[in-house]
Amino acid sequence: MAELLKVKALSKSYQQRDFWLRKSIIPVLEPISFSIKAHKTLAIIGETGSGKSTLARVLVGAEQASSGQIFLNGQLLQDGSYKQRCQHIRMIFQDSGTTLNPSLTILQLLDEPLKLNTPFNEKKRTELIRTTLQKVGLLGDHMNFYPHMFSGGQKQRISLARAIILQPQVIILDEALAALDPSLRSQMINLLLDLQQQMGLAYILISHNLGIIRHFSDDILVLSQGSVVETGKTLEVMKNPQHKVTQKLLMNQNFQLKPVKKQ
Amino acid sequence: MNLLDIRNLSIELVNEKQNILAVDKVSLSMKEGEVRGLVGESGSGKSLLAQAIVGVLDEKWHVHADRFHWRGIDLLRLSIEERKALLSRDIAMIFQEPMACLDPTNTVGEQIAEAIDTNSLSGFFWQKQKQRHEGAIKLLHKVGIKKHSACLNSYPHQLTEALCQRVMIAIALARRPILLIADEPTAAMENTNQSQIFRLLASLNQLKNMSILLISHDLENITHWTNTITVMYSGQFVEAGTTEQIFNKPLHPYTRALVDSSPSANFHLPAKSRLMTLPGSIPILQHLPIGCRLGPRCPRAQQDCVKAPSVTNFHGHKVSCHFPLTPIKSPRKWLKGVC
Repeated sequence: MAELLKVKALSKSYQQRDFWLRKSIIPVLEPISFSIKAHKTLAIIGETGSGKSTLARVLVGAEQASSGQIFLNGQLLQDGSYKQRCQHIRMIFQDSGTTLNPSLTILQLLDEPLKLNTPFNEKKRTELIRTTLQKVGLLGDHMNFYPHMFSGGQKQRISLARAIILQPQVIILDEALAALDPSLRSQMINLLLDLQQQMGLAYILISHNLGIIRHFSDDILVLSQGSVVETGKTLEVMKNPQHKVTQKLLMNQNFQLKPVKKQ
Repeated sequence: MNLLDIRNLSIELVNEKQNILAVDKVSLSMKEGEVRGLVGESGSGKSLLAQAIVGVLDEKWHVHADRFHWRGIDLLRLSIEERKALLSRDIAMIFQEPMACLDPTNTVGEQIAEAIDTNSLSGFFWQKQKQRHEGAIKLLHKVGIKKHSACLNSYPHQLTEALCQRVMIAIALARRPILLIADEPTAAMENTNQSQIFRLLASLNQLKNMSILLISHDLENITHWTNTITVMYSGQFVEAGTTEQIFNKPLHPYTRALVDSSPSANFHLPAKSRLMTLPGSIPILQHLPIGCRLGPRCPRAQQDCVKAPSVTNFHGHKVSCHFPLTPIKSPRKWLKGVC
């Protein structure tokens, strides 16, 4: 199976000018290369400030990469090709409460990407929104509601609906499951897995919760201070971590897994 | 003797149209030196319960209880001033989002010094000031901050979240409380920082024999650190017991779902298989179901569930369900059979 998304030597650095207008360059991401296939999930873990979110933002096109190339289906994504990119690579954010515009109904919210990216007329767009809402486990009639009328889990489903409505190929989940309650979180995981099966989506999952990563992802990428320190199949890396950073991350989580039997 | 003994505590939101019962007859008891986890999803009333214990709820909320004992003293019979004096001496609370709870306009040092009890100081005012400063440094050492001078002189926004949480714990420790209530102390924190904070709380519990009520929305996060766990759902009591009982042999369908829904608790589960969940979502306060509030989502619900179940006690494992997962034989019936 061909690679869906291929990233070659992608790097990101910020320039800063000090008082004397001297340039200083702050590297955030060292050159990174990886690839994802359809139906697969890549998990990215790392501590704060390791560049996980920057990587996500560069991939989705919210920030420009300093160097390197991104290929989608073997085709190079140019810097200005936002139209193509926002159709095929979509992102879900952590806090669903603040990413939905409170003054728009769900219909208007979901209509926006369709208006900008598709030639459909109004009737077809409404129909598409109805089926998409049903796909994520909501009712079609929910489209006339405002975001504040939904609970946190339902809002996250609407974010997911907004992500899949353009039939994308890659979805980036930036801590999208962290703010949900446990019972809603497992509902969401089931839904994401179902959609992956049906639509052949590739996910890039950024998360702290190693339990979810173990369950959900196929490959793993460990970042530390902007550079990749370990990659591989999730289960193999978790069983036998090589790098210090990975070991530390795993140890901290193992602390919390199961109650110790007390005598 | 129990440290804290609460029986049938209800908290009601008084409204013009109708009163909403946010917490419905919850019982909670804590022994000395115990770490108890209080687990519930959002809207389960766990933070409300903690605030009711400390007594910081405002007048909109009405609190009733059948019994509210603190170290054998009946708090319901005391006047409000006496109760406040007693509780503020013995109970301390740390809140979630430490950055938001610290005063951004004062340095950390001033805030810690302010919390130190005036009665413990002696001498003239300059001596007292010096003692206050030394006390603040000692408190910072206690919570594991070694660079005390840098920390004392900085404002909350200059510190990281984990450091702020440590400062909050230091402020809470200033009056040497017997019970520390930690309301989601590690929400939105990194794993490494989370385990640091938990380790600090565990060491305080062991060294100072301080009881801790650890509130969390995630069962799997706190199981390592607690002796006993109380589970709440939507303002109702669900289940209470030791950590092993709750985790390995849950009696209530809701606890079972909580345990099953955490992927890290189920190592035997193959990757990418479906997780067990309850259908539907958590009811909002305006539309609470009658009887057992889990009813509409519960896989075992039957007709009896429209009546609120009473609490059954089974070797210290309390559960509030008409149809628990492993049927409990009432000890009295069993005795009758023998006789």
